[in-house]
Amino acid sequence: MESTKPAQKALKGGRMSNETLISLFMIGVLVVVFLIACLFVPNFYKPQNIVNILTNNWYIVILGIGVSFLLVTGNFDMSVGGVIALTGVLSVYFCQATNASRNVLGNGLGLPYGVAIALALLGAVTVGGLNAFFIAKLKVPSIIVTLGTMMLARGVGQVITQGAQRNTSLPKVFGIIGNAAIPGTSLKISVLIMIVLLIFAFFIERKTVFGRRTYQIGANQEAARLSGIKVARHLTMLYIFSALLAGITGILLASEYKAGLSGRAMGYEFDALVVALLGGVSIAGGFGSVLGMFVGAILLSVMTTAATGLLLSPDWQFTLKAVVTFVAILAQRWALDRRSRG
Amino acid sequence: MTTMKAPVRETSGADERSEALRATVKKYYIYVVLLVIVVTFSLIKVGEVGLFGRGAFLSPASLINMLRISVPILTLSGAFCLLMISGYIDLSVGSAMSLSAVVFSLMILNGFAFLPALLLTLVVGVGMGLLNGFNVMKLRITPVIATLVTLNLFKGIALLIVPDGTSAIKSTATQKMPAFINYYARQDVVLGLPASFFVAVAVILVLVIVQRKTILGKYAAAIGGNRTAAELSGINVVKYVWLLYVVVGVFAALAGVARASYMSLGDPLSGDGMELDCLIAVLLGGTSFAGGEGSVAKTIVGALIIVCITTGLMTVIPAYWQVVAKGSVLLLAVVLNHVLIRGRKA
Repeated sequence: MESTKPAQKALKGGRMSNETLISLFMIGVLVVVFLIACLFVPNFYKPQNIVNILTNNWYIVILGIGVSFLLVTGNFDMSVGGVIALTGVLSVYFCQATNASRNVLGNGLGLPYGVAIALALLGAVTVGGLNAFFIAKLKVPSIIVTLGTMMLARGVGQVITQGAQRNTSLPKVFGIIGNAAIPGTSLKISVLIMIVLLIFAFFIERKTVFGRRTYQIGANQEAARLSGIKVARHLTMLYIFSALLAGITGILLASEYKAGLSGRAMGYEFDALVVALLGGVSIAGGFGSVLGMFVGAILLSVMTTAATGLLLSPDWQFTLKAVVTFVAILAQRWALDRRSRG
Repeated sequence: MTTMKAPVRETSGADERSEALRATVKKYYIYVVLLVIVVTFSLIKVGEVGLFGRGAFLSPASLINMLRISVPILTLSGAFCLLMISGYIDLSVGSAMSLSAVVFSLMILNGFAFLPALLLTLVVGVGMGLLNGFNVMKLRITPVIATLVTLNLFKGIALLIVPDGTSAIKSTATQKMPAFINYYARQDVVLGLPASFFVAVAVILVLVIVQRKTILGKYAAAIGGNRTAAELSGINVVKYVWLLYVVVGVFAALAGVARASYMSLGDPLSGDGMELDCLIAVLLGGTSFAGGEGSVAKTIVGALIIVCITTGLMTVIPAYWQVVAKGSVLLLAVVLNHVLIRGRKA
């Protein structure tokens, strides 16, 4: 009889879910990596640095929420980066003053800021709907469709900015939401929004029927459909949800930089995917948690901050992300295999 | 003794005719699309420059230029199609191409002759293909994720090889890139077309034959159609798909050499987006993304369509329309693919 490790024996009593195991596993990895970084990078353990690590990836976390939910159902959403660019550009274009400058890039539609962001979010929802149409209705593989809609969204942004950017004749209120902090603290509104959305997402994932259905679809789409779940409608809602999250991020980023850039958020979709994978979300079927994704985001943040602290060139990030994702996927599979064998 | 008859659906004459019509459309639509695009672009400026005059889409200079630019995608998309037919995908081909371009330029800059540098780069291509095949077939990582990982890995390595402070491997103050690097992709051989073009044509011919007539082609379609059934009928799926990944790696390397030769430098970002172009070509060519069905010949026509669109757009429309145009073409290709291939599927 194979001897099982004491840890596994203890777990068998009040058996924690696989998701929790993986999340704890990755937290362990995070702690180890953090400690190693503290050894090599000067001042890594300073509180200011830790706060930095936890908050500088806020946009990836928000994107990661939508991407994780979709990944659980076995679908990708690579369009989120393009949606960020598009909504940012739209939010600028809609509220630029109408006849402010001779340069066509300085003139917009002159709408109030509130209307502008509402319309920009509408643009995001359109992209999400487009995704849903191809993926849920036409059953086209999500990777292909979302790469196409990513180009479409970013391309529209490029057309509106003519390849450059729009950043003039903006109302004063434009720059508030992206740059403001809660009075008395240094907590930015963006970070607060991230925290709220994360709690909201975790609640949905664990406590609501919608969340449970998402996992059922991921585990076995056909079985879910046969048990009465309207899969197409569910996926549509997930894609619109993901696009909305990207839209919110885009508006916040545009406000922070007071500019609409068609080139913003390049590669963010891959980062969102990486942190979801690091956090244990598996495309194979119905497994993973947004909490794990958050841990993955912090892990990524620790590594990139450490790399910067060691004065490595930014070119290292590609190799770093590739290797870490690869190792994480294999390690998680190993951990789960061991558990099911023991 | 009771006999059971399988229910037979009577097809009326009308059903058979529409089936035949669908089959014909499926076979020839892509040539029609190419024709339409060529005609459109030729006619846009016909008032100013005529059909074949200088500056027109169909002028000899413009056609030759298009064929020269199309060399990388022509080299690569055939192999990409073959892999897709087996139901597997490789998203890292763009970065594989860039890495090959960088490696090749580095060798030429440091005194290697053309042929040794080419062969060593192809070996690098084999290595990249082996890695992808290993991750997908042995470690059983989902192809999309596995090749996205290698996409970043290859890109990262290419960026790290290029010395700090420069953006590409090229002539510097101390080292000069020898002139012969250009001969492969720029020097006229026949009709103003370079050697790399004819190599691409040869590659295409070989791959068309492979796909239609050889065991590898048949097995690829079998694996794509139903992997389990293929396995059970004795096909060594791991071996053949691994082989296909290596083939894709080799041709990505060859495409990288062509790109480096054309640009006279090794740019670690030069291949970015190539995987999207290949995907569009493959989808336009009617390959089913689930696998089992596809044609290298039609994929090549699809590649030509993309080249026509890209060069046509550059002359007629401002550059910043390129991305939205490409995205629209991809989505249109998806719809076209769905309507023609998936047709009646519930």
